[in-house]
Amino acid sequence: MIDSGVDRVVPVLSVLPEDRVLVGESARDWARGRSNGPGWMPGDPEVPVIVFPASVEEVSALVRVANEKGMRLLPAGLGSWLGGGGWTHARDVIVSCVRLNAVEHYEPADLTLTAGAGLGMTELDGVLRPNGQWLPMDAPGADAGTVGGLVACGVSGAMQGRYGAVRDNVLGIDVVTGAGRMLRIGGRVVKNVAGYDLVRLFTGSRGSLGIITSVSVRLFPRPETDVTLCYAGRAAEMAALAHAMCTSSLPVAAVGLEAGNGDTICTARLLGSAGEVEEARSRLIDNAGQEPRRIVRDDESALLHRERAAWEEGSALVVRLAALPDRLADTFERARVLAGALGGGVAADALRGAVRVKASPDAGRDEDIVRALSRARGEMEEAGGSMTLSQARGKVAARVGWAGGRGSAPALGARIKELFDPASVLASRCP
Amino acid sequence: MPVSTAVHSLAGAVRKQEQGLLNCVHCGFCLPACPTYRRLGDEADSPRGRLYLMQAVVEGRLDPGAEAFQTHIGRCLGCRACEPVCPSGVEYGHLLELARQVGGDARRPPIPARALLRVFGTAWMARPAMFAGRVLRATGLPALLTRILAGRRPPKGARLAVAMLAASAPPPPLPGRAEARPETVTQRRLEDKPTVGVLDGCVQAGLFSRVNQATVRVLRANGYRVVSVPNQGCCGALHAHGGDLDAARSLARRNLEAFEAAGVDIVALNASGCGATMAEYGSLLADDEEMAPRARALASRVRDISQLLAERGPIPGGSVPLKVTYDAPCHLLHAQGVADPPARVLDSIPGLDVVPLPGAAECCGGAGIYGLTNPRLGGWIGSDKVRAVLGTGAAALVTGNPGCMMQIGAGLALTGAGIPVLHLVELLDESYRRGGLYGKAGR
Amino acid sequence: MVPATLAKSLVEICGRDGVILDEDRLLVYESDALTAYRHRPGAVVLPRSTEQVQGAVRAVAEHGLPIVPRGAGTGLSGGAVALDGAVVIGTARMNRILDIDAPNRRAVLQPGVINAELSAAARVHGLYYAPDPSSQTTCTIGGNVAENSGGPHCLKYGVTSRYVTGLAVVLADGSVVRLGGQGREAAGYDLVGLFVGSEGCFGIATEIEVGLLPVPEGVRTLLGIFDRIDDAGQAVSDIVSAGLLPAALEIIDGPTIRAVEDSVFAAGYPTDAEAALVIEFDGLKAGLDEDVERAAVLCERAGAREVRSARDEEERIALWKGRKKAFGAMGRIAPDLLVQDATVPRTTLPAILRGISEIGERYDLVVANVFHAGDGNLHPNILFDRRDEHELERVERASKEIMQLCVDSGGTITGEHGVGLDKKHHMELIYGPDELAAMWGVRRAFDPGGVMNPGKVLPEGAGGD
Ligand SMILES: Cc1cc2nc3c(=O)[nH]c(=O)nc-3n(C[C@H](O)[C@H](O)[C@H](O)COP(=O)(O)OP(=O)(O)OC[C@H]3O[C@@H](n4cnc5c(N)ncnc54)[C@H](O)[C@@H]3O)c2cc1C
Ligand SMILES: Cc1cc2nc3c(=O)[nH]c(=O)nc-3n(C[C@H](O)[C@H](O)[C@H](O)COP(=O)(O)OP(=O)(O)OC[C@H]3O[C@@H](n4cnc5c(N)ncnc54)[C@H](O)[C@@H]3O)c2cc1C
Ligand code: SF4
Ligand code: SF4
Repeated sequence: MIDSGVDRVVPVLSVLPEDRVLVGESARDWARGRSNGPGWMPGDPEVPVIVFPASVEEVSALVRVANEKGMRLLPAGLGSWLGGGGWTHARDVIVSCVRLNAVEHYEPADLTLTAGAGLGMTELDGVLRPNGQWLPMDAPGADAGTVGGLVACGVSGAMQGRYGAVRDNVLGIDVVTGAGRMLRIGGRVVKNVAGYDLVRLFTGSRGSLGIITSVSVRLFPRPETDVTLCYAGRAAEMAALAHAMCTSSLPVAAVGLEAGNGDTICTARLLGSAGEVEEARSRLIDNAGQEPRRIVRDDESALLHRERAAWEEGSALVVRLAALPDRLADTFERARVLAGALGGGVAADALRGAVRVKASPDAGRDEDIVRALSRARGEMEEAGGSMTLSQARGKVAARVGWAGGRGSAPALGARIKELFDPASVLASRCP
Repeated sequence: MPVSTAVHSLAGAVRKQEQGLLNCVHCGFCLPACPTYRRLGDEADSPRGRLYLMQAVVEGRLDPGAEAFQTHIGRCLGCRACEPVCPSGVEYGHLLELARQVGGDARRPPIPARALLRVFGTAWMARPAMFAGRVLRATGLPALLTRILAGRRPPKGARLAVAMLAASAPPPPLPGRAEARPETVTQRRLEDKPTVGVLDGCVQAGLFSRVNQATVRVLRANGYRVVSVPNQGCCGALHAHGGDLDAARSLARRNLEAFEAAGVDIVALNASGCGATMAEYGSLLADDEEMAPRARALASRVRDISQLLAERGPIPGGSVPLKVTYDAPCHLLHAQGVADPPARVLDSIPGLDVVPLPGAAECCGGAGIYGLTNPRLGGWIGSDKVRAVLGTGAAALVTGNPGCMMQIGAGLALTGAGIPVLHLVELLDESYRRGGLYGKAGR
Repeated sequence: MVPATLAKSLVEICGRDGVILDEDRLLVYESDALTAYRHRPGAVVLPRSTEQVQGAVRAVAEHGLPIVPRGAGTGLSGGAVALDGAVVIGTARMNRILDIDAPNRRAVLQPGVINAELSAAARVHGLYYAPDPSSQTTCTIGGNVAENSGGPHCLKYGVTSRYVTGLAVVLADGSVVRLGGQGREAAGYDLVGLFVGSEGCFGIATEIEVGLLPVPEGVRTLLGIFDRIDDAGQAVSDIVSAGLLPAALEIIDGPTIRAVEDSVFAAGYPTDAEAALVIEFDGLKAGLDEDVERAAVLCERAGAREVRSARDEEERIALWKGRKKAFGAMGRIAPDLLVQDATVPRTTLPAILRGISEIGERYDLVVANVFHAGDGNLHPNILFDRRDEHELERVERASKEIMQLCVDSGGTITGEHGVGLDKKHHMELIYGPDELAAMWGVRRAFDPGGVMNPGKVLPEGAGGD
């Protein structure tokens, strides 16, 4: 039974039936079942409230009520990464779009698909697979979330060089803005320059401008062959190997580095027709001047990369260090030092020069952690790179700062936020 | 011709282009090909912009005497680099001549330019003028002056004129030496031995007579029958480019009659500027009912010397161990579309090391009397070319047009780098001499 | 004519030769490549640096005049046309490649750099710039950014916005903002992505950072000749459905083939064919034969009369010739040409093509199609003669019907040429007042005073202003 004693629940119940509202413990239970990170509600909400609109009209009614009553809404998918980046506030009403999960339009020969924002990425893959297609957006943790969440986060994965970033493959978006307007921008066609590119603005807007209700994406044929070469060795040696692979003209779909307790692993993923992959494989090995420790193929290769994408699952602290790709060895080394201090692991996307560090340090070590993180940020910025927190406890994040001081054109960003969400009813980053 | 008539004929030509469906679609593809646009960045100095100004004159929106028309049409090099890149096949060169005529009638061209045109056009005046030039050159004075002036760039006015004159002097001896005459080499015998008449030209006949002589020798060596063509004269190129179409037409008529009388199968040219003009005698005399068909027939027989040589191989001569680079004359490459033959001729010379010249397809800034009418821009374009030549490390520059030889030669001389400019046939001629193709006497 | 005080400050900022004030000289800046619109600017400024652009923008804005950025003026939607005596800021002199950072596969450029020249400079490092509009030998990267240009090879590689990673933009108040850049993942909104395709309405890009790709080691090209254009459309669908990922898939229809073959650009396509399909694959040499073989079989199965394959670079150029020269060839058979640029879902291509030819017949007009079939990006060209007023009217009606047909099939009004002046009233075919108001709002966020390129892209009064 709904605890209508919570002030935020009453207005919500005026637009949604009871069975689409979860409050308190039941909300916590739902979230626990889905969340992959421990910190999905890091603001320690007073009493969590989750609502599940089932139509665009319901979404828009919620936004209207929020504007009237001065409530704050946090758009969400499966809630798998809500705490990431520090966008949740204690009194948010979480609006999960999982009930908006219909495949609205799918014409395989067009290689495009339109679906409700709440369609899970795994379900989506189930729809595409029989047609030999896929949406190769391997953002960290994407498999655990929804297609709307993927678009809202706008983070891209290791295959971005091959297939483009998420934002390059979103063709259209339906969104209810913070001001309550229902916008239908972009379309279902792969080339479209009619008007300004608001699709890109909403991609990566993290629920701060509007609630995305439906997205159209560009699909790709699933490659015939999927092969991964795995090398292992000393960190510096592997970083050099990874960099060489990235700058060769061979079509490598992804090059990764992972350092744990023992050897550093360097992986190179090849996708394409059997002939092409075979050729690239033998030339990569020739160039490397050594046989890989292991070669995995097809399902096994796909699995390896799925695991790699979900690599930080369950970690309380996730940090991203980035610099230009030719600084990879340096960035990787700094990340290893940081991981050493935090007691965690390191994984890199070599093609982009980005390195992730994950750890789950004890709360008691906050001082050490803050010091290590601040130092890493200073060093990265000095070297022309950056360090951002993807996931962190509120207290640590507040002292270190989620991102460095380099947000581009903050004034423009503020004007755009003001335009779409004038009453600030939607998410905004915690100070 | 009064301005109104001139405008009328430009209008006629523009209309003809439209009716021939060759109109400019304003796509802008010609912009990057244009040396003046590349340097100035003003669309009024681009082919599309110039065509637009012409169109405006035709539409009556612009007075041909207006500063804008005069300046921008005046700044055109006439290099026609804009033609081959045009997807719509706009005949820019032809329209430019008409525009120059319209502009010239609206305003007289500057005095020195006019005087020069007169000198080239009138045979009796050309000879003494060229003679005086040769005497001056023989004194070595221009070479000396050039050396003294070297390093002060860009060449301008008098400095340039002197340097150009110096640059027309024969090149210093080339490295390597004559080989023993091979037993087997004889003049190539061919079943068909076409009769060739060479246009002496005014500049070549005056300052570059050695090029003409070499032309005759290499043609003969390759099995052509060269006959002399009396009563020929200036081709009229400079007049046509300058917009004095009436003078150009009367020069064309004279040459038409002279070459017809000589009964040649082929008109051979070693000056691509003249070649482009003669190849277009048909359209120059299009309005002359009686002459037009004859002009077209003659024009169809016009060949650049490099084409004639390439057709025959050409036969190989002796070794010339020299590193050279080749600059394509605009009127050969863009106006006549002759790209490969010069390279084939160079490739045939044993021992020659040909290195590519960056920007070889771009105008050297010579463009007839351009250096005199637009000294600043001409100097800028010229010094870019000189820099490119120096950058190749070549010991000599080869080209195929006396105007280019003088322009680039002057620029090179002023740098004091001591890099000579050779005509393609001069180099081949030297190779033949070394190979003993001309017998023991050499040249 | 601009006020004398403005003229004076512009000359102070950009130098005497960097400012064009003479009415006659300004004539040549009346149009871009769409000559239907002619408006003489109040002045043209040709700055050499970001600072000069800033100075000029401030001076013009102080005098309350509008500003229009201009690249090479090859736009096909009237975007660079100066309405209301606007001052044109041309980037022709800002044409330096500032840095090619080969190890990181990126380059930093001034906006006036010509697309093909960037690729040529990068090629020395084994790299190239992927988006290849047919106008690439002339158009500027600044113009490409403003229009979010595409090209034949964008089927596989994506359009301009995928490659732009950073921008320095001079806003209407003369300030500079730096968006993205240095391969860094920018915190906050994707303002780089938002700026790309803004058609000169948000500000002037004065420095552009782009990503480069390694030159593919092998390229193979096929030409399918079809008796029915539907079959060619079907072949496109089949190739894509089969999981092949060609670099380019371009169709040239019967009327275009005949125009090309009648011109000096004759490419040797059979004139009785109704469609020619150019298919290109690139990548590692080893994989190409297999792809080519499969594509050839699919073409034949879809009804191709003949499939030609290029064995070397020369033959490859020959196969492309008909496609590349189509625009010029059409210019030769008709004095005027109306190019449309709609995109439709690929599977609707056969039906749309039939619809277009039916509209052409009904209005007694020649409609020649040459287009990026793989992307569903159509370029129906209506050939006409503007001196014939009756014809002009038929052209307008036919053009509108074609546009509506494409929109009804789930398509859009422009795939790569932009809205500009030409299609701004068609915006209402695809967007309602809320979307248009949102776009107005974003435009005002960049340019509160409405200084930049007014009168373009968004219909006035629609959804807001
Ligand atoms: C193990 C793991 C690691 C991850 N690592 C990273 C990382 O390093 N960096 C990173 O940026 N992301 C990371 N993510 C996030 C991931 O890339 C996906 O974006 C995410 O999984 C989407 O999940 P979801 O649909 O459950 O969205 P949620 O977790 O519910 O929401 C994620 C964000 O998207 C917004 N959002 C979701 N749906 C909508 C909608 N319909 N309309 C508007 N806004 C919406 C939310 O407001 C929130 O800001 C990670 C996820 C996992 C599970
Ligand atoms: C024959 C032909 C073929 C074409 N083929 C294609 C094609 O295949 N694909 C395609 O996409 N397009 C094509 N186009 C259209 C055109 O070439 C492109 O739109 C091109 O990007 C325009 O570049 P430009 O430098 O000429 O810009 P301009 O035409 O000068 O300007 C275009 C727009 O960009 C703005 N602008 C220019 N520079 C800047 C800057 N620095 N900052 C901000 N705004 C700026 C202008 O204000 C204007 O709105 C073609 C055009 C022609 C004539
Ligand atoms: S002259 Fe030719 S290339 Fe130049 S704009 Fe006109 S049509 Fe285009
Ligand atoms: S002839 Fe040469 S200088 Fe004149 S417009 Fe053409 S390209 Fe430019």
